[in-house]
Amino acid sequence: MTHELNIITNNPESETCQGNCCCSNPQEKECGSHESNSRREFLQTASTVILGSMSLTLLPMPVTNSTAGNADDAGDQEPGTATSEEKTSNNDGQVWFGFLVDIEKCIGAGKCLTACRIENNVPAGYARTWVERYVHLKDGSVRVDKVPEQGYAGSNLPDVDAELVERAYFVPKLCNHCSDAPCNQVCPVHASITSPEGVELVDPERCIGCAYCVQACPYGVRFINPETNNADKCTWCYHRIMRKEQPACVESCPVGARVFGRLDDPNSELNLRLAEVPTHVLKDQLGTNPKLRYVGLSGEVK
Amino acid sequence: MNPQGDFSRDTRHLQILLVLIVLVGVVALFIRSKMIPLSYGQLGAYRAEALNEIAAHPSKLQSDATCLQCHEDVQEERADSPHVAVHCMHCHGIGENHVAQARSAAKSQELVVSPAEEWDGDFATMIDLFITEDRATCLACHQKVVGMPDTFRKINVKEHLEEQEADDVGSANVCFECHSGHSPGL
Repeated sequence: MTHELNIITNNPESETCQGNCCCSNPQEKECGSHESNSRREFLQTASTVILGSMSLTLLPMPVTNSTAGNADDAGDQEPGTATSEEKTSNNDGQVWFGFLVDIEKCIGAGKCLTACRIENNVPAGYARTWVERYVHLKDGSVRVDKVPEQGYAGSNLPDVDAELVERAYFVPKLCNHCSDAPCNQVCPVHASITSPEGVELVDPERCIGCAYCVQACPYGVRFINPETNNADKCTWCYHRIMRKEQPACVESCPVGARVFGRLDDPNSELNLRLAEVPTHVLKDQLGTNPKLRYVGLSGEVK
Repeated sequence: MNPQGDFSRDTRHLQILLVLIVLVGVVALFIRSKMIPLSYGQLGAYRAEALNEIAAHPSKLQSDATCLQCHEDVQEERADSPHVAVHCMHCHGIGENHVAQARSAAKSQELVVSPAEEWDGDFATMIDLFITEDRATCLACHQKVVGMPDTFRKINVKEHLEEQEADDVGSANVCFECHSGHSPGL
């Protein structure tokens, strides 16, 4: 018995010490520490293995900051010298897009609507961009209606009696491409993308059509496309702007009510216009920091 | 009770446990590598390849620069008119097929570009390219509508025709008796 016990206690690698065996050995004074030593060693080894294998799962996915993501790709761009007005633009030389809508110029002809539908295969009854008409009547009420795709002028729809109208204007609406986009944050499958250029996109391969983003957007610019069952939205014609073309709606506006350009380029038409006139964003109080700005925006427009 | 026996039995249990943990880890890693797209995480918490896929969509809308490659005379015609800002496609359609035809015709002598007069006249159908002298083309923008800015040239077509003492008020191309599309002379 004693012999066996000596073997156990002399073996520092022994993993167990049953009962009071070691304490019965007068030579082993640190019996308690021996027992906890072997257990501690095991726990150390086991936890190293477990924690090590857990940390392995983190290795293949180095998630980088999306805005600083491909700053190297924009090496030929001049560093952004954004004015204080564009707090939303970053300053690391990354291409950063913005959009301006001039309500004072829009004539509600609806050319942008047709252009967008054709360019982006938007199914009938759905729209990535639309134009609202706000009519302030003399009795104090405000009437809002959606401009038909041919424009009121081309649609032959009955018009409001001009005698009753105090003032009226057209408000083109499209995706605000918010810097702090609420739609982006709710996507459970990471299909809602903010491109390095600041454009909000939907990855059609990942999107499961759950419509969380549709409900999260405070501007109502997203919809579920019935043909693809994906979330669909204005992309500022990402495919066009990446080859230095203008978005379809901008290209098609006959009165220059829509201006698209780069916020990071101080000489872009967009920045020159922004420096000229006061602009405002929709639903500023929500803190979404839209990159779509409006000239002549009335407080009644929501 | 044999301490040696208990010792080996417990060790065996622990070994099995360790092997199980490692196995579960390996299976989890394998599933993970299959589930996560290759380009995920390159630019942010999304599939970076999606950006290239979206950017690869073809541009359908032709810009004026494309039209003016062949029709440079039109640019001279409208240079001093407000219609210089009006894009060709507003009155002539998007012209995607027309441009595609013209480009292949430039390469092959046998191909002929189909004439734009083939438009059926219905705006709702909006065929690819058309030439029209229909008043609807003008009034699609210039018909006076509540909400238009003061600076825009707009008319109530009935009043305008009376003012101008037009001969044939009902004629579809009555606008073109006084105005040209490219340079309306306002």
